[in-house]
Amino acid sequence: MNEQHKRSMISVQGIAKHYGDFKALERVDLEIEKGEFVVLLGASGCGKSTLLNLVTGFDKPTAGRIVVNGREVNKVDPHCGMVFQQYALFPWLTVIDNVAFGLKMKGIAKAERLQVARRFIEMVGLKGFEDKYPNALSGGMRQRVSIARVLANDPDVILLDEPFAALDAMTRQVLQDELLQIYEKSKKTIIFITHSIDEALLLSTRMLIMSARPGRVVTDIRNDLPMPRNAQVQLSPRYNELKGQIWDTVQSEVMRSLQATSH
Amino acid sequence: MISKAPSRMALAATSAASVLFFIALWEAVCRAGLVDPIFLPPPSAALGKAAAMLGDGTFWPHILASARRVMIGFLAATAVAIPLGIFLGTSSFARAVFDPILSFLRPLPSMSWIPLSLLWFGITETQKYSIVFMGCFAPAMVYVIEATRNVDPLLVRAAQNLGANRWQVMKEVILPGSLSQILSGFKVILGLAWTCVIAAELVAAREGLGFLIMNGKEFFQTEVVVLGMVLISTTVLITDFVFRHIENWVLRWKQ
Repeated sequence: MNEQHKRSMISVQGIAKHYGDFKALERVDLEIEKGEFVVLLGASGCGKSTLLNLVTGFDKPTAGRIVVNGREVNKVDPHCGMVFQQYALFPWLTVIDNVAFGLKMKGIAKAERLQVARRFIEMVGLKGFEDKYPNALSGGMRQRVSIARVLANDPDVILLDEPFAALDAMTRQVLQDELLQIYEKSKKTIIFITHSIDEALLLSTRMLIMSARPGRVVTDIRNDLPMPRNAQVQLSPRYNELKGQIWDTVQSEVMRSLQATSH
Repeated sequence: MISKAPSRMALAATSAASVLFFIALWEAVCRAGLVDPIFLPPPSAALGKAAAMLGDGTFWPHILASARRVMIGFLAATAVAIPLGIFLGTSSFARAVFDPILSFLRPLPSMSWIPLSLLWFGITETQKYSIVFMGCFAPAMVYVIEATRNVDPLLVRAAQNLGANRWQVMKEVILPGSLSQILSGFKVILGLAWTCVIAAELVAAREGLGFLIMNGKEFFQTEVVVLGMVLISTTVLITDFVFRHIENWVLRWKQ
């Protein structure tokens, strides 16, 4: 009974998104609770990004509705902060002005917004880089700025669309750790897109595996691995069991889509 | 043997020597009586004229008059073109309204506005400003609209996602995002503005560099004509230099 009454942070109800004859998403239903770290996993073309674009309001669904924290999404809404794979930082603004951008849009006074921005810059480990322009930063640092920019805006939900895909393996690992720490500190609801099974296992509290043609959620797995997800966890039998289970699903999906394209 | 690339100092010295050589050659040809000074006076004569004009206080007013007309006409045209261009660049409806008008204005050379502007304003300063304005406005609009369309749409999305409304997107993303391309277009337009002002002054004016060379021609003072041409070129080079510094400062995030 209690479960029924708990209001979801994100409620995706009967969503479909068609582009002409192409069914990017079909009959997607999802309830995501406050504080979950959900990873959307799937091969390219399964509608992961389409779903995220619907949650942010960048796109309108063909059918169904999405409710975020009690409000129905019908326009671009700053309550769902987005971290893009290509960082999307404003190159003409310094790090601190990028991070303070959302607060400026809300009309918050300069002194106050810079103070808030400074706090989040420190949180992502970029203290001392406040006055640098994005051009002067490495990819990993840019993505940190982008995360700080979303955090400073204090959204209900943080959406990350393959945020670490363009980074080298070492930097990716560091940023994954940092994101987990931020998650634990901020207790934000997070949706994270990836096609790396390891990344999904490392970060999530829950994994949704998506399948293409039509795009839909095929498997919903709770990730019960203990935190912190250090090297030891990654060597545990449970980790490998989960990985094997996901791989079986993903593999059959990939095979299916390969056959579909060869016809 | 492979020679090393010459240093910047050496290149600058070479350029200076080239200029001096050219002026010396010109002077020598004139002194030797190879050309009639009515057709081409020696540089020393033009320089002498400049000194005389500096002495009787008629040198600076011409330069300042032309520069003032260029600046006022150019700044007025760009001040209108930037907001209007950004608005048109982001609204397909507004583009549908204004595109035909712009397409009509664009091929008109600024000189073709001289007769009408003389009728409307007479031989006044306003008439000069209007010629410069009409010469700069349509191309400035085209540059601004084009520049706004090249702004990365991802940045617009990011801004909307951070809570920016339509007006804030224009002011905080489209404007700064297109500024680099706008400024490089405006550098070309600044050159155009000088062409406009000289044309306007050649036709009807009481002072200015265009007036100076036209007046020199009327009185067969070829050294005045040559001096005027040198001054036009130098002034344009200096404005261009100043503009480039402003541009570098505005776009300092690019370095």
